[in-house]
Amino acid sequence: MSAAANKRPFDAGRAAYLGLNLLFIAFLLVPIAIVIVFALNPTPYISFPPVGVSLKWFAKFFDSAEFMSALWLSLWIAGCVLVLSIVIGGACALALARGNLPGRAFLTAFFMSPLMLPAILTGLALFQSYLLAGVGRPVWGLIAAHTLVAVPYVLRTTLAVLYNFDRRVEEAAAALGASPTRVFFEVTLPLIRPGVLAGGVFAFIVSFDQFPVSLFLVVPKGETLPVVLFNYMKFDLDGAIAAASMVSILLALGVVLALERLIGLRAYVKL
Amino acid sequence: MGKQKGLTMISRRNVLRTSAFAAATLAWPAILHAETKTLKITTWGGKWGDIMKAKVLPAFEKEFSCTVSADQAFPFMPKLQTSPKNDPLYDVFHTNSNEQWSALTEGLVLDKISVKDVPNIADVYPYAVSDKIVGVTIFTSAIGLGYRTDKGLAPPKSWKDLADPKLAGSRGGYLIPVNSLGQCHLMMLGKVYGKGLQDLGAAYKALEQLKPIKLVDFTGQMEKMLLSAEVTEGVIHDSGVFRYYDTADRQPVDFCSPTEGVMALEQVLNVTPGSKVKELAFAYINYMLRPDVQKLLAEAVWYSPANKKVKLDAKYDEKLLTTPEKVATLIQPDWKWYNEHKDDIDARVTKILKG
Repeated sequence: MSAAANKRPFDAGRAAYLGLNLLFIAFLLVPIAIVIVFALNPTPYISFPPVGVSLKWFAKFFDSAEFMSALWLSLWIAGCVLVLSIVIGGACALALARGNLPGRAFLTAFFMSPLMLPAILTGLALFQSYLLAGVGRPVWGLIAAHTLVAVPYVLRTTLAVLYNFDRRVEEAAAALGASPTRVFFEVTLPLIRPGVLAGGVFAFIVSFDQFPVSLFLVVPKGETLPVVLFNYMKFDLDGAIAAASMVSILLALGVVLALERLIGLRAYVKL
Repeated sequence: MGKQKGLTMISRRNVLRTSAFAAATLAWPAILHAETKTLKITTWGGKWGDIMKAKVLPAFEKEFSCTVSADQAFPFMPKLQTSPKNDPLYDVFHTNSNEQWSALTEGLVLDKISVKDVPNIADVYPYAVSDKIVGVTIFTSAIGLGYRTDKGLAPPKSWKDLADPKLAGSRGGYLIPVNSLGQCHLMMLGKVYGKGLQDLGAAYKALEQLKPIKLVDFTGQMEKMLLSAEVTEGVIHDSGVFRYYDTADRQPVDFCSPTEGVMALEQVLNVTPGSKVKELAFAYINYMLRPDVQKLLAEAVWYSPANKKVKLDAKYDEKLLTTPEKVATLIQPDWKWYNEHKDDIDARVTKILKG
């Protein structure tokens, strides 16, 4: 058979499908490309085409004590939020899916409500509550606030796994003599792990990038990276902002890859 | 045996003495902390924030044996509003003049600061404590027109020059509801095209004529748009142009003080009535008005000092408002009036600039 005969006829539907996909990919990646160009362009303003390639904005970012302290604080808070939201969100999901609780639908909506409320209002309400309680604006208050908005992510992904869970596996383990604790740690937990961890990754990213909730809760010399970037941008809109954004993107990506390597998320879920 | 030799008798007195010493040692940081007063202030970021953190605040802390907690994270006003009035989040409130008026309406700041509390007020220009000011102005900038000198256009002389048809699409302004420079510009349009700063009808009509116009919400963005030539001519404060004079890659950008006058963009300090450290708060304002501190900050960020005794170096003195004649060109808006009409103005200008 000739090559021409092997050639597929033009499929307009398939071409449209591919075109639409390419459009979506471009929509997602073009902003990142612009950030990269801005971060590497030596001019102190956004200019296109770029006039050269320089790492001076990265140097400025890493040399700044203010940026570095904010970066470490954000990472530390996001780490705490990751752990807390996994524990709280995972436990809530188990209780909701297995607990035969009255008003389960209401409780699920209640736990998901931080996602429905504008985050800026959550931040303001918590700020006011902390002041009324006389505790000021402690770091644990910021961690609690981030956890509040991160828990729904873990809850949702864990509930999704639990709803598709074959309980006969647990029943088999119990029938073979395993205690309830052993069933939980050796059967239930490994099976719901992908949902919990996928939610944990979201929780980490949500906390690390959290701006509206943090806005009211940060204290002088204890500001998170997004808040520092916002305030910096009001006065100095230079490439350091883009460099910081690049570092943030790479860090978030690094966490996802590290979790994938350590725990093997890819084996369970498509991220 | 050796161990037994090393044993010593411990008397009750020794135990008490040692315990008291240990307790005092452990408690000492807390006692020290309790004695060290903390002044909570708001302040700007950027170059201003850098010089404040590096020099101005450490020197104040040393001189007054206190610590300063400087909040640079916006928004200041809602935070102050939310905190209890008898234990406010800030002792000294640093904002532009419009926000001080909003704060005064809600009883969040003092209406006036007297020379008795802040002796350096005796040396400020009259505009710094005029009836248009709540608190005391420590610096001012002049709001005028920034422009590119490399675009073949004649340098502007009047506010009306911003309406030049050649600038269509390359003139710059602000999102008026969120930016006080934009609000000043709107009032100036009323003065230039109508009967005065409060002639909103004339101002709206003139604003319509400025379309198409590039709008930004921060002055920092306008600075960068001028530097990148995205904007050829735009509303900006003088320091937003002058501060790039010293840079290695100086751009062809200059500032014009229009003949009709420049609007004042004041940096105002005030004290919260519920502050627990009012004396320290007044001392801070007095310190900020001191000639040496004024000179340091003015030359770092190109702000015009409010203290008339300040002697700036020649290159700053030439450009900034440092004489009674230059200061006389400043026009101070009536922010009380503006704030009372703000909701209506916001709705109207949003409609105009959207279309």
